[in-house]
Amino acid sequence: MAERGKSTGRPEEGLERAPSRIGEDPEERVIRALLDGFPNTVTDFKKLRKGVLRAKIERRELYKACKLLKDSLGFEHLSMISAVEYDSRFELVYHIVSYQERLLLELVTTTPKDDPSVDSISSIWGGANWQERESYDLMGIKFNNHPKLERILLPKDYVYHPLRKDFKG
Amino acid sequence: MAEMWINMGPQHPMTHGLWNLRIKVDGETIIDAEPEVGYLHRGIEKLCEGKTYTQIIPIADRLCYGASLSWSHLYCVAVEDLLGLEVLPRAEYIRVAALEMQRIASHLMWLAAYAADLGAMIGFIYSMRDREVFIDLLQALSGSRITYNFPRFGGVAHDIPPNFERDSLRACDYMEKRLKEYEDLYEGSKVFMLRNEGVGLLKKEDAMNLGVTGPSLRASGVRYDLRKDMPYSVYQELDFEPATHKDGDCYARFKVRMDEMYESCKIIRQAVTKMPKGKWRTLAPRNAPEGTGLGRVEDPRGEGVMYVVGDGTDRPYRLKIRSPIFVTVSAAPKMLIGYKIADVVAIMGGLDMCIGESDR
Amino acid sequence: MNLFEFCYGIIHWLVDLVNHLWYWLGDHLPWVFGDFFNWAGDLAVSHGNIALFAILAEAVIMFVIALVNVLNFIWIDRKWMGRMFDFYGPYYVGYRIGGWLQNLADGIKLFVKEIITPAKVDKLGFLIAPVILVSSSVLALSTIPFSPRFGVFTSDLDTGVPAGLLIAFAFFAIAPFSILIAGWSSNNKYTLIGGMRSAAQMMSYEIPLLLCVASVFLLSGSFGFLGVVNAQHDIWFVIPLFLGFIVFITCLAAEVEIQPFDLPEAEAELVEGWTTEYGGFRFGLFMMTSYLRGYVGGALATALFLGGWQGPSIIPDEFWFLIKAYLVFLIIEWMRWSNMRIRVDQILNIGWKRLMPLAMLNLLIAAAFKTMGWF
Repeated sequence: MAERGKSTGRPEEGLERAPSRIGEDPEERVIRALLDGFPNTVTDFKKLRKGVLRAKIERRELYKACKLLKDSLGFEHLSMISAVEYDSRFELVYHIVSYQERLLLELVTTTPKDDPSVDSISSIWGGANWQERESYDLMGIKFNNHPKLERILLPKDYVYHPLRKDFKG
Repeated sequence: MAEMWINMGPQHPMTHGLWNLRIKVDGETIIDAEPEVGYLHRGIEKLCEGKTYTQIIPIADRLCYGASLSWSHLYCVAVEDLLGLEVLPRAEYIRVAALEMQRIASHLMWLAAYAADLGAMIGFIYSMRDREVFIDLLQALSGSRITYNFPRFGGVAHDIPPNFERDSLRACDYMEKRLKEYEDLYEGSKVFMLRNEGVGLLKKEDAMNLGVTGPSLRASGVRYDLRKDMPYSVYQELDFEPATHKDGDCYARFKVRMDEMYESCKIIRQAVTKMPKGKWRTLAPRNAPEGTGLGRVEDPRGEGVMYVVGDGTDRPYRLKIRSPIFVTVSAAPKMLIGYKIADVVAIMGGLDMCIGESDR
Repeated sequence: MNLFEFCYGIIHWLVDLVNHLWYWLGDHLPWVFGDFFNWAGDLAVSHGNIALFAILAEAVIMFVIALVNVLNFIWIDRKWMGRMFDFYGPYYVGYRIGGWLQNLADGIKLFVKEIITPAKVDKLGFLIAPVILVSSSVLALSTIPFSPRFGVFTSDLDTGVPAGLLIAFAFFAIAPFSILIAGWSSNNKYTLIGGMRSAAQMMSYEIPLLLCVASVFLLSGSFGFLGVVNAQHDIWFVIPLFLGFIVFITCLAAEVEIQPFDLPEAEAELVEGWTTEYGGFRFGLFMMTSYLRGYVGGALATALFLGGWQGPSIIPDEFWFLIKAYLVFLIIEWMRWSNMRIRVDQILNIGWKRLMPLAMLNLLIAAAFKTMGWF
């Protein structure tokens, strides 16, 4: 029979974690670690509800911040990479999950309209690989250092990026 | 024999759904694999930008037609987060009962296809027949068999029909008996264990890194279930345990899904007996405020996420959908390399692929 | 009166009938042609000529019986599967006789389909492979007599045709050759893989099969059908050689490519395996040959282990033979629908590492019985 254990136990032990202060809850720890590591580039923290945090980051620090999140803060799972197009910018929303602390961090970066490119984090989380290809395919955002940035959902020789607001189908 | 690339699909009796798997084989052993999806892309995200919020509920059903209630429920959770709407308590319990029935039906359909691929036609027939029990209950609840269009913002569309509680409890009793039979049938078959044990190993670290979620993750030893660890709806008040297994092979994934069906029966019993009285449907505002909404649920296939961006009108500005199968299929090469061609069926079948949600 | 004499009599009667007309014609034509007519008429009535046609008639009768039995087998297969799975099986076509005409309907459907030969196949191999398969299976069939007096392959010796069983198995074993040709010449990666798997599976299961047969030969002391069956008049060989019977049935299932051993042609894995490029009636021939080989195997198992045509004489011997062959087939079918498919390397594992030691053990048991003088 499969184990039917109590799920209040921690799913994963033994990662190197940044030191925590006594009595600090996990969200505070994450905010503090990010503010320490990236003093001016991570801004606008918001606690959306229990266990869900939101932060903004500049796109040149994205790779380093993600590395910090994975290696020392214990965020093992990259859930979703969304690309949203506004009038003057593109926004990339990264939802990163920590299994241990039961936290979800919504990390938002913006890129200018004429240069929608950002560093790829598929070397940190393998699950980002196809999600970045999908954002490239449908929205046209380029990811630097991606192992294989090709179209995935649309035919390989398609020219347009359909999710953009100027594509009227 | 020389190495060669073989295309399994897109036209192939085995592959459930329309996708292509290119494998590089050396004799009989797989040395490289590359899944190709996108044959079923319907442009749902773009489609949703032109429709009102209520018009999208049936579209969300059709994302994954195997487990459609959980997708429309996910959409309603995301929009309720955007609107800041509280769901009525009676509706929450109705939703939970229906969702768990949908989970059992989805897992039974997976079992049917899995057994049929491995050669036990009997498994297909038995599972589909048992699935009818739950599809009938859901039809009594919502009026359709496969795509329900049932949840609404802040509640559900209809109240439960008369005798629903009695019928659900009977269905749960019946299902638990049948699950015991299935265990005997599959685990007692030496051939089934030969085909599944030790095949398609996915280690814990790889599973977490590659974004695999749901039963496949729990089969690799990570005890993470969204219903328990980041609860939504009324799952906090219900008593159940997520099923895990430590091996990470095809048998583990099979076992986790069978155990999940047991747990779902338990949840249905509790939800149906604890249902409070009251209203089940409410009015929601027509225009959504500017802002974002996030919904995250435990779909039968993994973790489904929806991110809604509202802009003050009655149509969403952007709707982004995360499909668990899209990411799990990208992890498939890790599970395939080193095994034989005949194992492709067992491994890919064990992942429970529904291409509708993968390609959107 | 055996089958040969029966056919001889009929052909003799027919030839006499024609010869009346023939001789009359010869008498009334000019003397130069008259001689020719007489010579031809005498040649027709000569023993050798009638014997030849009698043998052909026998062969036709046996072939028709075999085909009818194959149709029965297919019907039993589908009905048995249906009942095991709790549904009906063939139902509508031939409603009153339980759906038996469904086979004819399927056969007709396959027959009227367009026969396509893909452009890039190796023409000779592609066209020859089904011919070899079918003809070798039918040849194996022809060596099996239903009873001492009903068979194509008979002789006056006490033990039947001297190497009857050996010849049957020799013909039976030509199949992997034709499957390889079919798989390779279809110019398709799937069929190549399927053909190789199929051939590997069949060749590795020949050995335990023949070892079981060897144990029977040891106990019966002769290679002919009559000799083997007559040696079972005290006790059927299935009882001392029960292990051998089980191994034989398993190897038979693997030779005929029946689940659990049918991965090479399984739909889920490789479309249809080595028969992918064959369509229409050619495909029907392959399917029919599969059941035909099942029938041949069942008949051989009956002759070797179950006492052939021996049984209480309320029913004629031939029917006992058929009943026993059907019984063997039912056992195989039961195994078929209760098990899932085994992967090819696991099949080869089972063949070499499990069945061959068991077959050798069986041979030892047979040798022990023989030295103890019980047979």
